[in-house]
Amino acid sequence: MTTQTVTLTGLRAVYGRGARRVTALDGVTTSFASGTFTAVMGPSGSGKSTLLHCAAGLDRPAEGTVTIDGRRLDDLGENELTRLRRDRIGFVFQAFNLVSTLTAAQNVELPLRLAGRRPPARDVTAALDAVGLADRAGHRPSELSGGEQQRVAVARALVTRPAVVFADEPTGALDSAASRQVLRLLRGLVDDHRQTVVMVTHDPTAAAYADRVLLLADGRVVDELTGAITAAVVAARIAERETVPAESVGEASC
Amino acid sequence: MLSIRRSAGAFVAVAIGVTLVAAATLLLASGRPRVPDRLAYAAVVVQSPDAGAPADSFAPTRPWSAARTAELTGRLADVPGVTAAVPDRTFYAQALVDGRPPATDARREDAHQGHGWSSSRLGGLRLTAGEPPRQAGEVVVDRALGLRPGGPVTLLTAAGPEPYTVTGLVDAPGVWVADGVAAALAPGVRAIGLLVAPSTDAEEVAETVRGVVGGDGRVLTGDARGAVEPRGDARTRWIGRQVLTAMAALAGFVTVFVVASTFAFTVAQRRRELGLLRAVGATPRQVRRLVHAEALVVGATAGVAGLLAGAAIAPGLGRLLVDVGFEPATFQVRYEPWPLAVSFLAGPAIALLAVWAASRRAARVSPLEALREAAADQRPVGRLRVATGVLLVAAGAALSLGTATSDDARSGATFALYAVMALVAGATVLAPAVVGPVVRLLRSPVRRPGGAIGMLVRAGALTATRRTASIAAPVLLTVAFAVLVSGMVRTTTAAYAAGRADNVNAGWVVVPDRAPGLSDQAVAATGGTALLPTTVFRSDPGTPPENRPLTALGVDPAGFAAANRALTVVAGTLNDLRGDDTVVVPASANRQPTQPYALVFADGESVSLRVVAVVTDDSIRGDLLLPRSVVRAHDPSALTSAVYLRDRIEPPLGARIVDVSVWAAEADRAEDRLVWLFTLLLIGVSAGYGAVAVANTLLMAAAGRVADLRLIRLAGALRRQVIWLVTAESALVVLIGALLGGAVAFVGLLSIRAGLAEQVGVPVDLVVPWSVVGGVVGLCLLLAVLASALSAWRSLSSRTGRRA
Ligand SMILES: Nc1ncnc2c1ncn2[C@@H]1O[C@H](COP(=O)(O)OP(=O)(O)OP(=O)(O)O)[C@@H](O)[C@H]1O
Ligand SMILES: [Mg+2]
Repeated sequence: MTTQTVTLTGLRAVYGRGARRVTALDGVTTSFASGTFTAVMGPSGSGKSTLLHCAAGLDRPAEGTVTIDGRRLDDLGENELTRLRRDRIGFVFQAFNLVSTLTAAQNVELPLRLAGRRPPARDVTAALDAVGLADRAGHRPSELSGGEQQRVAVARALVTRPAVVFADEPTGALDSAASRQVLRLLRGLVDDHRQTVVMVTHDPTAAAYADRVLLLADGRVVDELTGAITAAVVAARIAERETVPAESVGEASC
Repeated sequence: MLSIRRSAGAFVAVAIGVTLVAAATLLLASGRPRVPDRLAYAAVVVQSPDAGAPADSFAPTRPWSAARTAELTGRLADVPGVTAAVPDRTFYAQALVDGRPPATDARREDAHQGHGWSSSRLGGLRLTAGEPPRQAGEVVVDRALGLRPGGPVTLLTAAGPEPYTVTGLVDAPGVWVADGVAAALAPGVRAIGLLVAPSTDAEEVAETVRGVVGGDGRVLTGDARGAVEPRGDARTRWIGRQVLTAMAALAGFVTVFVVASTFAFTVAQRRRELGLLRAVGATPRQVRRLVHAEALVVGATAGVAGLLAGAAIAPGLGRLLVDVGFEPATFQVRYEPWPLAVSFLAGPAIALLAVWAASRRAARVSPLEALREAAADQRPVGRLRVATGVLLVAAGAALSLGTATSDDARSGATFALYAVMALVAGATVLAPAVVGPVVRLLRSPVRRPGGAIGMLVRAGALTATRRTASIAAPVLLTVAFAVLVSGMVRTTTAAYAAGRADNVNAGWVVVPDRAPGLSDQAVAATGGTALLPTTVFRSDPGTPPENRPLTALGVDPAGFAAANRALTVVAGTLNDLRGDDTVVVPASANRQPTQPYALVFADGESVSLRVVAVVTDDSIRGDLLLPRSVVRAHDPSALTSAVYLRDRIEPPLGARIVDVSVWAAEADRAEDRLVWLFTLLLIGVSAGYGAVAVANTLLMAAAGRVADLRLIRLAGALRRQVIWLVTAESALVVLIGALLGGAVAFVGLLSIRAGLAEQVGVPVDLVVPWSVVGGVVGLCLLLAVLASALSAWRSLSSRTGRRA
């Protein structure tokens, strides 16, 4: 039986006030079952990052509720929310993921240390090894390439064995070999450990690793793909929805 | 997690602050009364009863009369273990060299004191040449004067110059005469020194002596004998204590401020990183603890550095204080443990206080800030901030009003110090709210140097209001302080001088020259109206304290009435101030004519006087009026402070003549000079500090702007243009700070002026020493421009940091 790890109901998110008001999410209701891999896609500015932030409890929606592991986030105080995030959720940001004064290994063990635990060195090495960076453990972010930094962030999101991993374009800055490595890793979490993965991506090939694709436009879920997902199917479905397809799909995120 | 580079600014600021605190507290602890050399060999000293006066009035103790001295000395000499009891007689006497008082260290009170030869035993003095003085007309003088035994010398005493013969030389300041002469010149005695047999314990002797003396004096041993130090030294040390306390307080306060703005700035710069920490699972509490821990490490290490530096500079600073007259010549630095402990704790304490607000802000950073650009800080002011700022400014205004209306210069200065602290704190808290409008105001002057630069400068200052504010804050602090305090001191000095000149109805004034006062002979030679001040003691039955010291002015009533415009007689008539038993009291004494009024004089005699007139309190610059002859009869060493004249005359020996406005301006010159030096010292501390803080913040800000600058450069700006941009930006910010600070201080000055005008009764001009203010602004501007140009130049030429 599948349980719903994350449930979103009637999410609305609004930025700014008055004339500068932007509705980033406009009534999103969906859920992410445990042991599934979901890809969130959509044009730039469609609210993908906002959706992830709200679902991960990093931001509070204007309306609607988020439930993780059966706990409603709006019932939680800042400290409880932080603890929940620390224990149950892993997050990979779109950019700027690492603390610049810490080495790669220290960045990876940071969440555990914040929780008051001292991670065994071999767990940290294993996590870095999984993203192909075992030999870069002692380097600081300024000595790593953008893609390497992104992979350290992935390693950090995995090391706590969270119930859900949210990843905002984790492969955005990676070449195809490194992308494949990260995507396989995420897939492995789902297949081997029944963890839940939610990933934002613009790349149909990356989306092909998922069990399900959510398509967002103007803050709404406009389409959903399940079953046998291939890059071609995804690309075709996106092309259908776009009025000027070539431009939107090819455009890199901000 | 600590970044050396990020904390360097706070480190330097805390270190400098602790240096000043350490030096000041070390010097404070060192400033203790010293046993005069003259009494060094007297193991036990009996001092005449304390005058019932506040500790900071430096009134002499009530002397014993000649008869009482003789009786006491006789009884003390009989105490077992006492080998000799010698009264210490001290009076005014000065040897003239080449017809003028020698320009020896005029601040050493003992340089113009005379003593009886027998008391030289108390200091273990030995003749280096010649014989002791045995009869009237013989004197032993300081070897440093360059006189020879057997030669003539003119001795200036309160009566006038008299011919003496030098019989011997000693290696100590002052003059020694035969005991009979000393007894005539100093009939009242304030200390009796006891020489104790080598085998006996001074404390035991002191116990027995206490039984003999009873309530009529204090028995002192060991360091407590410092109580008989010259009153002038005690006063100088008191001034030094005020200076040092103010310096320590100001340094601590300013440091907290500067460091607080540094921390606020670092936190603002690190929002993304702190957000990231929050996102990966740090609770607000953990973030707060992190910031605290960083502050603590910085504070502790900087505190130790500052402590060492402070201990190192203390002796030099001590000598400086002696040179400018903030400490007596006898001052020596001692390393006591408590100042070291205080300074050791000061570093962490300052850092923790300073980081308080910043850590609260840091804890409020939301996880999502990791995703946002750091520079755009769009919510400039919180409600709590505005409320705090308004409260502080209101408190500052109230304190300024206190400064303006206080009639005592000392409490006025204290009020002023607190007022400035409150105003500065308030203005700094409010600065982010004010920066926007002021930048907009300044728009036009900045627009000229090429549209693009002006636009960038304004946009930079406006979006990062908090960065701008934390650069402007130290400037604001410094300028406000400089304008308010220097303006206040100058205005007050000028106001009092104007009031003084207004009260005196005379054209010229004869004042002493290189001497503490004018002798009777000099006064007689001028033929003008003279004031002969002396200290008398009054015990009002039923109203403590006993032996209250009062300043009595010996005057000739007709001349005094003519020369004093402020004189208002309430009852009786001044003309009755004649004979040897009359007195004029102010209204606050609550006496009516013909009532009796008993006083103890400087010779220790108690005399019952008759009130002949009552005047208003502000009629006289003293507590009582006595006939001049009465003062002279009871105080052979009383010296005239000034003689008022209609017309200019040739000044007598040891005197100068000045016109009344000059006299009014310099009447308090010694005091004014000290106050002004004190002011400059405080301004110096805060200005140096402000400038360091500005440079510090600019250098830190530069690190965060490298990317911006490179972008502007890539967009086509010449290196020269970029450096100009950065320089213009910091100049603008310094200007904002100076303007805000100046405005705050000016408001304070206006209220002070109003209060002063009320108090002295004449219109008061606002005096602002623009050179000082200009210097302070210039210093900040210079350091700001240097710091920003340098860092811009450096960041544009470095090729390393690829993550820029
Ligand atoms: N902090 C913010 N303040 C104001 N508006 C915001 C903020 N963050 C996002 N927005 C707006 O909300 C909308 C959704 O933004 P979001 O970041 O979720 O888009 P996205 O789908 O992740 O885009 P991309 O693919 O470019 O990353 C956009 O229109 C964006 O301009
Ligand atoms: Mg996004």
